[in-house]
Amino acid sequence: MADLRIENLVKRFGNFTAVDGVDMTVSNGEFVFLLGPSGCGKTTTLRMIAGLEMSTGGRIEIGGRNVTYLRPRYRNVGMVFQDYGLYRHMTVFGNIAYPLKVRSLPKAVIAEKVNAVAGTMQISDVLKRKPDELTAGQLQRVAIARMLVRDADLFLMDEPMSHLDAQLRGHMRAELKHIQKSIGVTTIFVTHDQLEAMTMADRIIVMRDGRMLQFASPLEIFERPADEFVATFVGEPQMNVMDATLRRSEKGLVADAGPFVVPLDEAWAGANGLGRREGTQVRLGIRPEHIALAPAMDREHGIAAELYSFEPTGAENLYVLKAGGIEVITRNSTTATAGLGKREGTSLAMRFDPNWIYLFDPEDGRTIAFAAASRIARRAAA
Amino acid sequence: MARPDTTIVSPDAPPVQRNWWAYLVILAVCVVNFLPYLWMVMTGFMDNATATQPTPQWVFSPSIDAFRFLIFEKEIMRNFVNSLVVSLASTFFSVTLGMFCAYAIARYDFPGRDDVSFWVLTNRMMPPVAVLIPIFVTFQTLRLLDTLLGLIILYTAMQLPFVVWMLTGYFRDIPRRYEESAMVDGDTWFQAFRKVTLPLMMPSISATAIFVMILSWNEFAFATFLTSTQAKTLPPAIMAYSIGANISWNVLGAAVVLITAPLILFVLIVQRQLISGLSQGVVRK
Repeated sequence: MADLRIENLVKRFGNFTAVDGVDMTVSNGEFVFLLGPSGCGKTTTLRMIAGLEMSTGGRIEIGGRNVTYLRPRYRNVGMVFQDYGLYRHMTVFGNIAYPLKVRSLPKAVIAEKVNAVAGTMQISDVLKRKPDELTAGQLQRVAIARMLVRDADLFLMDEPMSHLDAQLRGHMRAELKHIQKSIGVTTIFVTHDQLEAMTMADRIIVMRDGRMLQFASPLEIFERPADEFVATFVGEPQMNVMDATLRRSEKGLVADAGPFVVPLDEAWAGANGLGRREGTQVRLGIRPEHIALAPAMDREHGIAAELYSFEPTGAENLYVLKAGGIEVITRNSTTATAGLGKREGTSLAMRFDPNWIYLFDPEDGRTIAFAAASRIARRAAA
Repeated sequence: MARPDTTIVSPDAPPVQRNWWAYLVILAVCVVNFLPYLWMVMTGFMDNATATQPTPQWVFSPSIDAFRFLIFEKEIMRNFVNSLVVSLASTFFSVTLGMFCAYAIARYDFPGRDDVSFWVLTNRMMPPVAVLIPIFVTFQTLRLLDTLLGLIILYTAMQLPFVVWMLTGYFRDIPRRYEESAMVDGDTWFQAFRKVTLPLMMPSISATAIFVMILSWNEFAFATFLTSTQAKTLPPAIMAYSIGANISWNVLGAAVVLITAPLILFVLIVQRQLISGLSQGVVRK
C-alpha cells in the first residue's frame, strides 16, 4: 500500500507524443480512473507506471520510491490486463500462485494465500480447471485474484471489464468497488467507459491526446467539467452543445442559437462576467435531463421543436428533437412525458433550465461559465 | 391487415453429403504412393535370385540375407549412427538458435528487422548445390571435411532460416500480454520467456523440430560431397548400391527400409503433435 506521485510524465514513440506531461498525486487507498477515448494515452500511462513501457521524461514515485526507470519486477505492482493475460497452460491455481512462486514462497504459504483469495473472489470451485474451461466472468475473477494475491503497493487495471457482458459488468462494478475499499490498496483503473469511471472512482482523470484535461471527483467532473470535451464525454446521453451568440434583448442577456433564443439567468451572467462577452460566439451546453418538454409552446417552454426520434428506455424516455436544424436530445422520466406525442414529426416545445446551462469557449473549448445550479451543489458538498 | 397465423416450420437440414467418390480418390492416391514403397520393402526381404527375376514375384519365402549383408559386411549401422547424430544435433542447434532469432524478430523492433526477415526467407530460395564448391573449399581449409561436426554446422546453418521463418509466425500469435503479465508478477524477461512463452510455444516448436529433423535425415547432396568414410550418412551410403552395372535389388530394398523405417515410425508416433503444432494459432477463440 502506497501513494503514487507522477510528475510531468512524457512518452514519445518516434515523432508521436502519446503521453504529454501527465501530473498526478494519488493518495494511499484511492481508487483513481484514467478515462478517455481510445488512443488518448491512458493505457500508455498505465504501462509506464507498471514499467512495461519506459518513459521518455518525467518521474514516477510509488510510496516515495523513485521507480521511473526500474524494471516491472522491482516496482511491486499488481496488474490486470484487458484480455486477462492468464496462462493457458496452467490451472487456475497455478495462475494465481504464479506471482508467489516467482518470489519462491513456501508451498504451504502459497496454498493458503491462494485459497484465501479464491474464497474472496468466489472461484474456489474452479481452482483445478484450465483458463479455457472458464466463463468470461470467472476469467475476470481469476485475473483479479492473481493481482490480489500479492501484497502489491499499487494495483493497475487496464480495461478489465471490456470483455464482460453488460449485466455481468454491472455486477462486477459493485464487487470491485467493494473489494478495493475493503483491501484499501491504491488502484489505477483505465477505461473508456464513462459509466464505469463515474460509478466506481474516487477521482477521475480525463485524458485526451496524451494530455490530462481534468483530475477531480466524479461529481465535480460531471457538474463542473473543465472543458467542452469533458462535458460531452461524461454523461449518457451526452450533453447537447450548440453554437450560439451572446446578445442583449428585451428579456436581458440571451444566447442566440439561430433558430431559437435561450434566455440566460441574469445573476449568473453577471457573476460570470458574460456582459463582457456580449456579441461574441460561445458554445452553449445543456445536459439532456435539464430540458423540459411540453406539448405546445407557452410562456415557459419557448423553443419549438419537432420530434426526430423517440427512444424509450423504460424508466426514462429519450426524445431526440430537431429545432431548425439543431439536434437536441432530452431525457425525462416516463411519467413526466406520458402525455406527449411519440410519433416522429410531432411538434413539441422545450425549455432549457437556465440554472443548468454551461458556456464553453469556441476557440479552446474551456468552460466560460459553469451551470448556476452546480455552484450550489458544490457548496453543499463542501 | 393482420397476417394469417401460420405454424412456423424451420427448413429441413441440408442432406448429409455422401462423398463416396472422395474415398475412391483417396484410395487411388494411396495405391499410387504406397505400392512402389511396398514393392521396395518386399524386395528387401527377397533373396538375390528372386529379386532379379524378370517377372515380379508377389509370393516368395522371405529372407534377411540383404539386411545381414548390409549390417555385418558393409557395417551400414555406422552410417545409421552418423545420420542419427548429425540430424539430432543439427535439429537441436537450429531450433534452439532459431527460437531466439524468431523471438527477436517477432517481438522487437530494430533497424533492419524487415531486411533480416526477407534475407532469412530468400536464403531458402537458392538451390543449396549452387554453393557446394565454395563450401567444399571452406571445409577443406577448416579441416571439416568428412567430420560429423562439419555436417552438424552445415545443417544447422541450412535449417536455421526455415526454423526462424516458421517460429516467427507462431511467436507473433502469442500475445505479448503473457510475458508482460509475468514480468509485472516479478519475473525477469528470461524467466517469463522460459516459463510462460516457451510452454505455449512447445507444440509449434516440436512441429518445427520434426520438420527439420526429417530434412536433415534426408539431406543428400552435401553429405555425398563432404563426407567419404568417417562421417558418411545414410543417404550417400545407400546411393552406392544403386549405381553400377550389377545392382543387387534386394540390397537396395533393404537399405531403403533401413533409411525410411525410423522416419516412418517417428512420424507415426508424433503425428498428433505435429498436426496440433502446425495448426496452432489457426483456430482461436
